[in-house]
Amino acid sequence: MLEFQINTPNRGLHLHLVARLMVAAAIMGASVSGAETPAVTQFRREVEPVLKEYCSDCHADGESKGGVAFDVFKTDAALLHPDLWFNVLKNTRAGLMPPSKKPRPSVAEQQTLERWIKYAAFGIDPKNPDPGRVTVRRLNRVEYRSTIRDLMGIDFNSEVEFPPDDTGYGFDNIGDVLTISPMLLEKYMAAAKDIVGEAVPLVGKVVPERSIPGSRFTAAGTAQDPGMGRGRGFGGRANPQEAMRTMNYYEPATVSMATQVDKAGTYRITLDLAVKGNFDFDPGRCLIVFKVDGRELLRQEFGWYDNKSFSFDFDAKWEAGEKKMTFELEPLTPVEKKINSLDMRIARVRLQGPLEKEHWITPKNHERFFTRQAPDGSAGRRAYAKELLGNFAARAFRRPVETATADRLAALAEGVYTTPGKSFEAGVAHAMVAVLASPRFLFRLEEPADATAKDPVSDVDEYALASRLSYFLWSTMPDDELIALAGKGELRKNQAAQVRRMLADPRSEKMVQNFSGQWLQTRDVEGIAINARAVLARDDGTEKQARQQQAEFRAQLALRTNSLQGAVGLLSTNTVGGTNAAGPAGFAAGKKGKQGFGFRRPVAPRVELDRELRDAMRNETEMFVSSIVHENRPVTELIDSGYTFLNEKLAKVYGLTNLGVTGTEMRRVALPSGSPRGGVLTHGSALVVTSNPDRTSPVKRGLFILENFLGTPVPPPPPNIPSLEATEQDIKDRELTMREAMQIHREKPLCASCHARMDGIGLAFENFNAMGMWRDKERNQEIDTAGKLITGETFNTVAELKRILATEHRGDFYRCLTEKFLTYALGRGTDYYDVESIDQIVGRLEKGNGKFSALLMGVVESAPFQKMRTRATETASADPTEAHNGVARGAVKPAKP
Amino acid sequence: MNTNPLLNRNLAAERMASLSRRRFLRGLGACMALPAFESFSPFNLSAAPAALPGVAGKAAPVRMAFIYVPNGTIPSAWWPGGDAGKDFVMPPTLEPLAKVRHEMQVISGLDDINADPGPDGAGDHARAGGTFLTGVRIKKTAGSDIYAGVSIDQVVASQIGHLTRFASLELTCDSVRKAGNCDSGYSCSYEYNLAWRSPTQPMSPEPNPRLVFERLFGTGSPGERVQNLKRRQQEQQSILDFVMEDANAVQRKLNGRDRQKLDQYLTSIREIEQRIEKAERMPVSNPAMEAPSGIPSNFEEHIALMSDMMLLAFQTDSTRIATMLFAGEGSNRTFTEIGLSEGHHNLTHHRNVQDSVDKVKQIDFWYMKQLAKFLEKMEQTKDVDGQSLLHNSMIVYGSGNADGNRHTHTNLPILLAGSGGGAFKGGRYVKTKPVPLTNLFLSMADRLGAKGIERHGDSTGRLEIIA
Repeated sequence: MLEFQINTPNRGLHLHLVARLMVAAAIMGASVSGAETPAVTQFRREVEPVLKEYCSDCHADGESKGGVAFDVFKTDAALLHPDLWFNVLKNTRAGLMPPSKKPRPSVAEQQTLERWIKYAAFGIDPKNPDPGRVTVRRLNRVEYRSTIRDLMGIDFNSEVEFPPDDTGYGFDNIGDVLTISPMLLEKYMAAAKDIVGEAVPLVGKVVPERSIPGSRFTAAGTAQDPGMGRGRGFGGRANPQEAMRTMNYYEPATVSMATQVDKAGTYRITLDLAVKGNFDFDPGRCLIVFKVDGRELLRQEFGWYDNKSFSFDFDAKWEAGEKKMTFELEPLTPVEKKINSLDMRIARVRLQGPLEKEHWITPKNHERFFTRQAPDGSAGRRAYAKELLGNFAARAFRRPVETATADRLAALAEGVYTTPGKSFEAGVAHAMVAVLASPRFLFRLEEPADATAKDPVSDVDEYALASRLSYFLWSTMPDDELIALAGKGELRKNQAAQVRRMLADPRSEKMVQNFSGQWLQTRDVEGIAINARAVLARDDGTEKQARQQQAEFRAQLALRTNSLQGAVGLLSTNTVGGTNAAGPAGFAAGKKGKQGFGFRRPVAPRVELDRELRDAMRNETEMFVSSIVHENRPVTELIDSGYTFLNEKLAKVYGLTNLGVTGTEMRRVALPSGSPRGGVLTHGSALVVTSNPDRTSPVKRGLFILENFLGTPVPPPPPNIPSLEATEQDIKDRELTMREAMQIHREKPLCASCHARMDGIGLAFENFNAMGMWRDKERNQEIDTAGKLITGETFNTVAELKRILATEHRGDFYRCLTEKFLTYALGRGTDYYDVESIDQIVGRLEKGNGKFSALLMGVVESAPFQKMRTRATETASADPTEAHNGVARGAVKPAKP
Repeated sequence: MNTNPLLNRNLAAERMASLSRRRFLRGLGACMALPAFESFSPFNLSAAPAALPGVAGKAAPVRMAFIYVPNGTIPSAWWPGGDAGKDFVMPPTLEPLAKVRHEMQVISGLDDINADPGPDGAGDHARAGGTFLTGVRIKKTAGSDIYAGVSIDQVVASQIGHLTRFASLELTCDSVRKAGNCDSGYSCSYEYNLAWRSPTQPMSPEPNPRLVFERLFGTGSPGERVQNLKRRQQEQQSILDFVMEDANAVQRKLNGRDRQKLDQYLTSIREIEQRIEKAERMPVSNPAMEAPSGIPSNFEEHIALMSDMMLLAFQTDSTRIATMLFAGEGSNRTFTEIGLSEGHHNLTHHRNVQDSVDKVKQIDFWYMKQLAKFLEKMEQTKDVDGQSLLHNSMIVYGSGNADGNRHTHTNLPILLAGSGGGAFKGGRYVKTKPVPLTNLFLSMADRLGAKGIERHGDSTGRLEIIA
């Protein structure tokens, strides 16, 4: 029925709201069928003349460029459909429509259009905008990890244990795509069990215990035992070998250390040793002697094992004081007989004691989960369990729990601690596992402030607000202060002060990392594949040589690893010049089957995008964004600024070698005047993630800025586009610069319409190669960075482009950044009904000189962040998913005959 | 003395870390030398009585797997020349399969038209991935309301999944995910998930071989694994009761998509309950080997380990249905191991430039070698009926893109390996008139004993030419 075709999500929801609007308009006085609603009347009177004047050449009178025509609405519903007007709003605001060569509406006319779209077509009430609806959010794995750290006091490496979360709208905290599967729930249950097992002590009193890593035993014997620390995370990262002392079977050795014992009593000493040999046999034998203060406790011979652990324990009566522990290794086999390596490893020495009951202590973490020792009677125990578990569940669920829940948890605990051999603590721990597996922990469930209200919109309640704030700013659960304020109903009142407090807390770095990591794709720097050799060769104009070397390498590799037949089959079609020169020699050598035949890997390139450099790049961007956030600087500095953060390695890659930046530590550096760096766009991170593995991609760079800074993404490309390399292939006699190749690439008018928007922007960054390094030449030719934006502004250098983006396009940037930040804050994509809220935040940014605080407080105080649709609204609405299901099923095309 | 299972597990992890992959594979080799099941704790064949359909020969079950390779393949190197039948010449890309040729069919003429742009425009990669096993048009959305269809593996699993401890197994060798959007306005879910339990619930695949192993067989050393698994399941039961009640209470207050989320949670709980109940009936196998130690940094090893996990799951009859992504659709992985610095996806848009075409062929060939290694192992592994595990399986290998250069979705590169326990005739090049890929899936589903599936996605019938 609709006369225009525009792809947007949520069509079902739009229709529903339009229907609502129409009903509302009808009630407001327009007569029944046939008569115009006020929105339509206003359209005819105020808007249509503007459209006729400026748009009708292409979008009326039989013209419908881009599938848009303004004079073919068959019904009022079609006229008022938000999809169309959302696009009109975006395009006119960004200056994309009317095109730059055509006359444009005056400011007043533009405002008339915008007002009508927002308040009539969208039906937004500026005083009470629709807050939209956020699908209940599951904690993503980043949030899960930090929530567990705050709740349980331990670090659980969810990035190893859980599969990656899906993303939507560019972020991984979007409720709609955070699904749950049986496998994931199973993992949650296993994780809950592991976490509680690690964090919660299962008994009230334990024998004091210490573990001394083997590495503390040294030849000098000077190490003092600092006592046992358990800060280490678990879930796969520990490197146990670092903590061991390794001794060769064939070298005599004596290692020792001293430890302080405070109380006299019986101690149990446990030695954890391991023999680590080669997979193949070795005849070596050795004697190990262990002594405490000269008294021998162990004398034992060992032979070969490929990998075997041993444990020995002894009880000893000790007086208080210093104990010196010594291991001696005596070789029993002459070194001449050695075939393979064979080592004795001291994994650790454990000391338990005094074993006498009066010396037992409350275990670590006991006070975190238990307020006192468990009482004796069953009623007292049950009451205590209920109290403990009620409090724990309230913290975990981030809101108070009903008595019934506490009762059920207490019953769960009782079921365990009343079975023989189980402690009270074990029962409570079992119930805690249930809490961590509950949907109330795993999902962020929100309540309206007034559950009985009939209004379509309500504030979220204070507990939900506490969670919204803490997951937005900290990516973790609310702390005690937020919950306490929410409990008193005073959080909303003190919101501004709380946001300031939260921003000052180091946990706010999570917002910086998680928001900018995804908005600017900084996270991708870690995994992106860049071939340094190819990139540098292009800068130096030595691609041909490099390609030749590579072809050789591949040919030889293919020979070595494939069947000869397969390799020949593949190589016979290889037309890369230069292969032939290396080919026959390679083949001949290959047939002889010699090891290492002519296997010549080209020398390492002078700069590699290695781990350290990637880390430095990511840190630069994170520290820089953090400085904008924490120093409350204008957000336009994200585009253009006079400082950045560097370490020696990154400074070198940037060619900033005269600033005296040395060492691995990242620090703030004022950029020399005239430096092309400054602002995230010329950070290595952004330049790298918008490149291909072997060269820059002006298209990706242009698109990156259009999507993430100007908010005017171009439509996706049509199928069958040739690659840039394919274009180059057509010109055989010389190598094209990137700019020339792009020109040929977009010569079709259809391509040019979008590429005109992207390429000029992307090409301005051509002085930066695919690793973010400055270069003066590409393929031995000068680089031309001059260009023009679709909106008409011209620039010669990247510095000028950045200035234009930060000044003339400041408004577009504010709006784009606001949309991204709001998406991250809400956990849902923004839609047409958010336009007013976004405009209000942009207005605050304009008034507040673009300071970050204006953005942050604008988001926090916005309707979508503060409010929710009530169930009254939701129940009345058709379920959008249901509406969609019909569409999806209908869209299944009949199969071919 | 140390009763904390987690600490034990950490110690076990330390031990594991020191084990080389070679050692792991040696263990696997030892298992494979024996007929399936016999090397493990006694297997109760009553789980698969001979009378049941989907059970081949002397009570050996039929297994089904789908292995996905992204970005299509170079058609000229994929398709055998000449006529259909037994005497086809092995094309270059398929050469690594020479040793298992007798157990495979190259099938031409299969289409996935719902991956065509249709009204949805760009996004052929997301569509190729999202439609491959579902056969339906997927909803174009960046985030909210993802909507595909139920995938064939899950359709079958819902019928025969109760016969094994795991209804199905979802694996991936692609552990890196992009930040930001995926393909032209499609959610990343479509590219990273093959299996869909419902149109809105993708089954996220597991990338970590250690976690696959522990999920199948329990944690800890071989000696303590079965015990650990049992203990964990017993403890789970009371917790499941609690969270089920919690979820029901919460769900009553929700509607729309929120309710859907809780539905996902509740179905997941029910599934775990069923598994516990099953574990009481069906003994757990205990492979005589250490668990692998995690995701290897080397891609080839990663694929090898994940393939081993699939083989083990089939061999021990822990499941009969599996899906595995070699890489997510649209993958732009570089193959430095064979000297290619360009990304796979970039390369596939070669516009017939010979150098790029050749490089893609090398990638196709490389992936095929990984498949061949897996199939050869399947062939060497004896099943309970004395046949090879491969013989008793149906393994589809292929892509939802045919020609990656032009994003075509007709005449897809599809291989069917294994004979489904003798139901299919291997060693052939099969040409069919253009039919939906889903027709093949229906014929496979029948062999597993699924009943009453009239249609799947865009299917128009069965593909009995393979029998």
